[in-house]
Amino acid sequence: MSFHMNRRSFLAASTAALLVPTILRAQESDIAIGSLTPNTGGGAPFGPNITAAHKRVVDAVNAAGGILGRQVRLFQENSETNPETAVRAADKLINVNGVCAIVGTFSSSVTLGIMPKCQAANVVQMCTSSSSDIPVADEKGLVFNFQPLSPIWGRAIGELVKSRGIETFGLMALNNDFTRSMMDGFIEIVGQDALLNEPFYYNAQQSSYRSEVTQLIEKNPQAVFVPSYVTDFTAVYKELYRQGYEGTVITTSLSTGPQFKEAIGGAAEGIVHGFPVPAINSPAYKEYLVEAGLEASDSVQHPFGTAGRDQLTTLLLAIEKAGSTAGPDIAKAVWEVTTGEGKTTVYNLADGLAALRAGKEINYSGASGSIEFDEEGMVLGRDFQLSEIRDGEDVVIERLEY
Amino acid sequence: MSAYLVSMATYAGFFIILALALNLQWGLTGMVNFGIAGFYALGAYTSGLLSAKAGWPLGMSIPMAIAAGFAAGGLVALLSMRLREDFLAIVTLGVGEVIRLVVLNEDQITEGPRGLRIEAQPFQSLIAPENYPVFYLGFVAFFVAITYWICERIRKAPMGRTLRAIREDDVVAGVLGKNVFRHRIQIFAIGGGFMGLAGALYAHYSQNISPEVFMPTVAMFIWMSVIVGGAGNNRGLLIGAGTVIMFLEGTRFFGDVLPWLDAETMSSVRIITIGLLLIVTLRLRPRGLLPEPKFTYTKDKIAG
Repeated sequence: MSFHMNRRSFLAASTAALLVPTILRAQESDIAIGSLTPNTGGGAPFGPNITAAHKRVVDAVNAAGGILGRQVRLFQENSETNPETAVRAADKLINVNGVCAIVGTFSSSVTLGIMPKCQAANVVQMCTSSSSDIPVADEKGLVFNFQPLSPIWGRAIGELVKSRGIETFGLMALNNDFTRSMMDGFIEIVGQDALLNEPFYYNAQQSSYRSEVTQLIEKNPQAVFVPSYVTDFTAVYKELYRQGYEGTVITTSLSTGPQFKEAIGGAAEGIVHGFPVPAINSPAYKEYLVEAGLEASDSVQHPFGTAGRDQLTTLLLAIEKAGSTAGPDIAKAVWEVTTGEGKTTVYNLADGLAALRAGKEINYSGASGSIEFDEEGMVLGRDFQLSEIRDGEDVVIERLEY
Repeated sequence: MSAYLVSMATYAGFFIILALALNLQWGLTGMVNFGIAGFYALGAYTSGLLSAKAGWPLGMSIPMAIAAGFAAGGLVALLSMRLREDFLAIVTLGVGEVIRLVVLNEDQITEGPRGLRIEAQPFQSLIAPENYPVFYLGFVAFFVAITYWICERIRKAPMGRTLRAIREDDVVAGVLGKNVFRHRIQIFAIGGGFMGLAGALYAHYSQNISPEVFMPTVAMFIWMSVIVGGAGNNRGLLIGAGTVIMFLEGTRFFGDVLPWLDAETMSSVRIITIGLLLIVTLRLRPRGLLPEPKFTYTKDKIAG
């Protein structure tokens, strides 16, 4: 077969190709927002919750008449938890869809990867990342992080397990920024002397963790702490079980979600895991559970989904407050609607908009925490909870309140 | 929109340089290289580290990236001299992963999983920021042109014929007195150098590199570019790499017009589309969109 293209058909084809994107642009009156979530790859266990939470907030606000009298259009892209893909996706969101903010990035490398493009275009970023490089790279003050930096996690888990009288630890962590800095925070609290092994890192996606686990439990510590994600922790835990380790296994609640419990079954008994949690009585968290169709329980549910709700709610409140979709204006308004004493506390977008339109100053308290930002745009401390798996269920054993 | 097209064209430029390099190694000489991502990473990190950490000017760090790719290519070819086809494929895949894992774990030097921030961009101070993306596209296009020119020269030169002879049957080429060993090392080193160049250009463009960028999937996209474009034909690769990027990126727009496709389904649909592209191409044009021209013997006119 052969393939002919004459000048006429070439011109027709290229004109068509150039015209397509104009159809895709949001209508001039719409407020365009980009959602860039990790729906596949390393963040796959959490991405879909964030995507769904973003969408719910936008659907609700559009049904109620939109923001500044305009409809909100959400453009969703999958970052694949890969900075290479994410940068191209961000490029499309910024230059084609004309978004004023990109929310929902999860892995630090993705958040940092798209930052040069976002800064150049004055696009606000909202993420749940952990790298301490984020505030440094954010030269224009446009980035807001909805997750406490991971050294704080490590310190909190350290405090909580130390109070349980465990004296010797074995330590290893997944080799990424989030888990590594968590390990540093943990060591700060328990002290070098409590460590029986030299802490080390393991790589994701290995088929077996036999030698790593052997090294970890060589000196038979009372407890091992393994900051990790669910995929690798499942493999690591299987190996710990196979090698007959009898001490306490400590990790983050990210690693012990339903996916883990299903894979491990009864052998998961006794694992201790910690996580920053929404204030247990927070109305926003309860509302989130209803919105997402979940039953209240002791387990940490949708840790990043709640953050997703808070990201979009904060963003839309800030746009309403600023009366503008320009990045720097929104960024300034984010502080005004989340942080500061003596304002009306609101727990959802509808109430927040009503209060703003009534001319009140508001402070949004979210489903993932009270959402107060420091001057670098990092969220301030959240409550921390330590749970133990008993009979396949998470049972809260301790709570640290900030 | 035009800003988006400019940036996609820039990406296509990186892909084209990588594809030209692979074509040199595999299309022309028959040496399988699955470690493209590794050489790409080597170039990116060499130039990135030299400029960000050692403060070298880009005029030196980018050539160093080429040199690093060149040396690594030569070394890999030397080590795996006795290996052919499948075995060379496995060695190169291994080398690619080794480079990525070293970058990931030697975090004192490379910043590991945190990713390396690179401030320096070529001719940064001379170009206004709003014109910079267009300038960079031109900058990349310049290097694409040079790479293309070198590859074409090699292909048309007597050396190109020798390389094709090695690809078809290296024993015959050896028997005819060609130095198969030397040619293979040369070509692998030159290809490695080009890949290093592509890496350096990418690093200074994206200004933030981390080991996750250099997963083996990158190699797969380049392989597809070469297969779709037509192995052995440099001109075909320009089309092949362009087509792959177009499908990779164009499929993104499905999500905007088809709202019932959520972000997860979308990314699967995109990869499926790329797979279909490969299958359809191989079915309809097994030798690529622009196949390598067959060598035809024409009678010498003067001698007639």
